[in-house]
Amino acid sequence: MASSPATRVAGRIAVPVLGLFWLAVTTVPFLFMVMTTFKTQEESYSSSVWALPESLNFVNYADVLSGPFLTYLKNSVMVVAISVVLIVLISAMAAYAFARIRFRFNEALFGLIVAGMIVPIHITLVPIYLMTREIGLYDSPFALIGPYVATSLPISVFILTEFMRQIPKELEEAARLDGCGPFTIFFKIFFPLSGPGLSTIAIYNAIMLWNEFIFAYVLTSSTSTRTLPLAIWDYQGQYTSNIPAILAVVTLTSLPLVVAYAFGQEKIVKGMMAGSVKG
Amino acid sequence: MTSITLSGVNKSFGANFPVIRDVDLEIADGEFCVFLGPSGCGKSTLLRMVAGLEMAYSGQIRIGDRVVDKVEPADRQVAMVFQNYALYPHMSVYENMAFGLRQAKTPKDEIDRRVKEAARILQIEPLLDRMPKALSGGQRQRVAIGRAIVRQPKVFLFDEPLSNLDAALRVHMRSEIATLHRNFPAASMIYVTHDQTEAMALADKIVLLHAGKDMLKHGSIAQVGKPLDLYHRPRNLFVAGFLGSPTMNFIAATFIGQETAGAHVALKGGEELLVPVDGSKLAAGAPVTLGVRPEHLAPVPGPAGQTLTRKVSAVEHFGEYSFVYLDGGTPAPLIAKVPGDGGVKAGDTASYQAPADCCHLFDADGIALTQI
Repeated sequence: MASSPATRVAGRIAVPVLGLFWLAVTTVPFLFMVMTTFKTQEESYSSSVWALPESLNFVNYADVLSGPFLTYLKNSVMVVAISVVLIVLISAMAAYAFARIRFRFNEALFGLIVAGMIVPIHITLVPIYLMTREIGLYDSPFALIGPYVATSLPISVFILTEFMRQIPKELEEAARLDGCGPFTIFFKIFFPLSGPGLSTIAIYNAIMLWNEFIFAYVLTSSTSTRTLPLAIWDYQGQYTSNIPAILAVVTLTSLPLVVAYAFGQEKIVKGMMAGSVKG
Repeated sequence: MTSITLSGVNKSFGANFPVIRDVDLEIADGEFCVFLGPSGCGKSTLLRMVAGLEMAYSGQIRIGDRVVDKVEPADRQVAMVFQNYALYPHMSVYENMAFGLRQAKTPKDEIDRRVKEAARILQIEPLLDRMPKALSGGQRQRVAIGRAIVRQPKVFLFDEPLSNLDAALRVHMRSEIATLHRNFPAASMIYVTHDQTEAMALADKIVLLHAGKDMLKHGSIAQVGKPLDLYHRPRNLFVAGFLGSPTMNFIAATFIGQETAGAHVALKGGEELLVPVDGSKLAAGAPVTLGVRPEHLAPVPGPAGQTLTRKVSAVEHFGEYSFVYLDGGTPAPLIAKVPGDGGVKAGDTASYQAPADCCHLFDADGIALTQI
């Protein structure tokens, strides 16, 4: 149905206005956070929350960096890196099987794995906590890797399977004629050709796991084993909280993600649409 | 020995969808064989069965002296050129051509020699460092052929390799494939196409395949033979109608009787024609179908012996020749392909001679009567 000129003009105005509104909703808290990190603790209590800092004061950053922040950072990097590598490898192999290998329970298994997306992680907390204690991994950063990989696989397999279904069948057949078995076809043809899908999976999961709080909270307890999302606890006392220091932790924690999103935005958006839009 | 033998080959997709039925076929050493047929006749499936990409439901396939039914595609000494080229997008032209040889652990200098030799033959040497996406359609097809050449296969398989190219390039590449066949005389070639021009131009042997109900009734193979044999001596109505452009004219007729020179038939329009075939097994009055190709209908001044006189419904001019559409075909209108402008216009009544030796006669089951 053709829209009238008035509707078109209204649309032309409404879309940017709504866009600007949403930009404000998302950026103002971020700017508020960064601004507050430059205030001293006293200043944050005495002045208005919207007041600009009196000077560019880096004391909160110095305070945070002199504490266990770097230990948390090291743990986070290690846990996220190992988890993402495993997620990419396992989900790519599973996706190749679901997309290309005909076997009896292909559709049923794929459905089962995708159904895993609707399981809330919170109901798995107690069993995972008990199992982690049982196998002696409690209070180790490695305890997080298993749950992280398991909970990330359904969406990753789903996205990559759709991606691999788009790779022409003839490439696989050409490779078979060139003497490749299933593993060579996977590693030399499908894996490299799935590059955009794999990087989408990697970036998406890295962001999710970087911010993951609940498993880290339940499965680790020591300063030496915790990850970044738990770092703010160090600046929250029983009777008072050092708000500028907490926000400095949050700013430093979110910085890698902001940079990653700036570079990988297109792939993340594409990956989110891969499951719903064909072709 | 690079002959290919298919014996009693059948293939179904599921229990109720047969695609290939009762194929018995011998492709000789070094022969260029074209699988031709309409969409859905299973010609690509048959090719893929030779390649090892599809398994036969029953029957046996031999390449040379070896039964290859359980042999992996890579071990059949075949190379295949795909319709959409199937070049690996993440590898350069050189890497694409070298990939199969690397998998076979061929020494590096041997790979280099073979790739460069193939590139020289196909005139793609300047493209070796490029990625497939930076190539035109024709260049990609050359690379795909090059990838097949470097493997030095005993059998080349082409699955509609020219159908993605524009008309001019198609003609050019067709001649290059013919040259390739001359350059590799020891290798047999199987070429799948739905384009009868390609089949007629390239084939030593055409295998024309039935589709649908014809396949279920008569088996997959409609006729096997040299291109001109199929053109001049079609075995049935399907073959007669498939080869030739425009297609052969068919006219409903009645068998009158057999003479020494041939069968005498009466057409629905009233004319009587003699067709040099053996109709001795037909009863007088039996329904038959007369077939005559548009290019064999020659304009004559008026009704005479062996002529068709009909009202002109339309004329299409192509400069060198014209198509004159006449009333009275079965089921499509009759077409006469005549030189120049045809000398007639729509609404005229015109006569065309159908020389006896260019006429075909088919019985009620559509089977051609034997020419005498």
